[in-house]
Amino acid sequence: MSAVLTETPGPGAGHAPRRRLPRGLAWLVLTQHRTLTYLYLAVLVLGPLWILYQHHRMAGQIDAGISGADARMQLAGNSGFDQLAAGLTSLPVLIAVFAAAPLLAGDREHGTVQLVTTQSVTRGRWVAAKVLWCLGLTGVAGIVLSVLFTWSWRSHREYVMTSWLDGQIFDNTGPVFPALCLFLAAAGMTVGLLVKRQLAAMGITFVFCFAVQIVWAEVRDRFAATRTVSFPIDSGEPAVLDNAYEVDRWIGTADGKLFGWGHCAEPTEAASDACIKQNGIVNDVVEYLGYDQMGALQWTGAGILLAGAALLTAFTVWRVARTPL
Amino acid sequence: MGIEGKRVSDTELPGGPPGAWALEARGLGKRYRRGWALRDCSFRLPAGRICGLVGPNGAGKTTLLKLAAQQATATEGRLATFGVPAADSAALPRFAYLGQDKPLFKRFTVAETLRMGRELNPRWDGAEAERIVRAGDIPLDARIGTLSGGQHTRVAFALAFGKRPELLLLDEPMADLDPVARDEMSGLLMAEATERGTTVLMSSHVLTDLEDMCDHLLVVARGRLRLAGDVDTLVPAHTLVTGLAEDGRAPAALDAHTVIETRVQGRQFHALVRPAGELSDDWETAEPSMEEVLLAHLRAPDAPALLTGASDPDAEGNSAA
Repeated sequence: MSAVLTETPGPGAGHAPRRRLPRGLAWLVLTQHRTLTYLYLAVLVLGPLWILYQHHRMAGQIDAGISGADARMQLAGNSGFDQLAAGLTSLPVLIAVFAAAPLLAGDREHGTVQLVTTQSVTRGRWVAAKVLWCLGLTGVAGIVLSVLFTWSWRSHREYVMTSWLDGQIFDNTGPVFPALCLFLAAAGMTVGLLVKRQLAAMGITFVFCFAVQIVWAEVRDRFAATRTVSFPIDSGEPAVLDNAYEVDRWIGTADGKLFGWGHCAEPTEAASDACIKQNGIVNDVVEYLGYDQMGALQWTGAGILLAGAALLTAFTVWRVARTPL
Repeated sequence: MGIEGKRVSDTELPGGPPGAWALEARGLGKRYRRGWALRDCSFRLPAGRICGLVGPNGAGKTTLLKLAAQQATATEGRLATFGVPAADSAALPRFAYLGQDKPLFKRFTVAETLRMGRELNPRWDGAEAERIVRAGDIPLDARIGTLSGGQHTRVAFALAFGKRPELLLLDEPMADLDPVARDEMSGLLMAEATERGTTVLMSSHVLTDLEDMCDHLLVVARGRLRLAGDVDTLVPAHTLVTGLAEDGRAPAALDAHTVIETRVQGRQFHALVRPAGELSDDWETAEPSMEEVLLAHLRAPDAPALLTGASDPDAEGNSAA
């Protein structure tokens, strides 16, 4: 490192020193968080490799001559795919807890916020550099992994038993995965700003992520209007329900009156038939979200998450720039 | 280090240009949730002084330093650094601040710490910072976390001086050092400050350190300013008086003067006063040391405030430019 220092000439030297990139705050943030930067880079290299390996493995199983229902049965218990999906699901939480939450809490706890903000850079520039580092790497990792996983899943979608609206697929594909990564990271940074202790910030962030996952699972199917289809009882499901996510199911009369699915669930078939006949029930009615609605659902959900991330980030930057920590 | 370290004579700068005051406070106050830490604080610190900031624990010393170092925002009043509002980003390159803990990145090497100084300060003097570190035999590739207390402080000083500050704000800089390191750091501080003409505002509980190093004083107690001015005018403004106690009490004639502190021992009283005129010939008088003046004010925080010469921004002829 002494070579670095000798680059700086004494006062009055005739030429400007040649400076290596990165410089200024970028250098400080990368040096301070070099371990985490390497971990992000590892995720950016190993994550795609894992997805490609799993994709290749699945393609091999499919090409081995298994087809149709057999293939579905064979691949239903595909632990490799499940592990990959679980790994992706946990990544936003890991980023929020181990990278974002300590980002400001660490500097506050160790007093280094005072060290940096009494150099010749403003608090606003400092926090902007830190936030940019965290959200930049998080966003890039989220986009790269999501693009690859989306491609892999779409290629083998008919062999994956998990519904597209299940968190394993919905949250790890399209715009939702990077948006979720960014939202939880922004939340972690904000918690780290408000809670001075690093460990406490990490714990609270973990609990927050857990709560978000629960709420998200409840609301992710509400970002688009459901559709309804009626078809004659015992005629078999229409093609429109292929790959659709069933929200609810009724039985109904010709004039549109609906009864609960179990309305005519009687102990004997004769009793059930009598009930159906007595109530004039002729149709099965299914409320569903079509696979073609997945894009709308994902972009709406991602938009909400990104708006939340933007609000939290703006608050964090504003708060640090405005008053000393 | 002794009196030869003092560079500035009792030169007053009434009504000087804004840059003449390293710090200028008017009605400065800071309130935390628990109450006022500093209130109604008005003073001027002329540029070039080495100023001791003295007061009991919780008196407001750290708050004043933090306000000057942009680590806290004032609740009321104004504070300017060389004529620039202290909270302005333009003030940032002009001061360096060392808090009580002197925080550094523990995982950085010494070289990386100095590089941080270069990356974040446009006026960085790398040669100077490296010279201070090398003078302490600290390897540049050593991790900050492995350094001794003295070495840690030296690196923190190197970072502060490398910034080429015009004002150096130090919050009990020697508090955690052993006597050898303390002596070494005092020498370093005086040498660097003298060479560059840096204004130093330094809080300390070690009065002998202050007596050796400082030519200017700010005394705060209970969040209010008690004394401000050059040592050469503040100390002579006080007199130690000894005489016969009347009925076990200091004589009533003493009340004609500003009495800072009185003590009665047996038949004698001892008092530190600011004479308002001739003192009685019945009493013995002596000029106190700086330590005696400071101790008396620390023991009597309610004593009337005294701002001498240019330190008082409200005094006649001292109106701000």
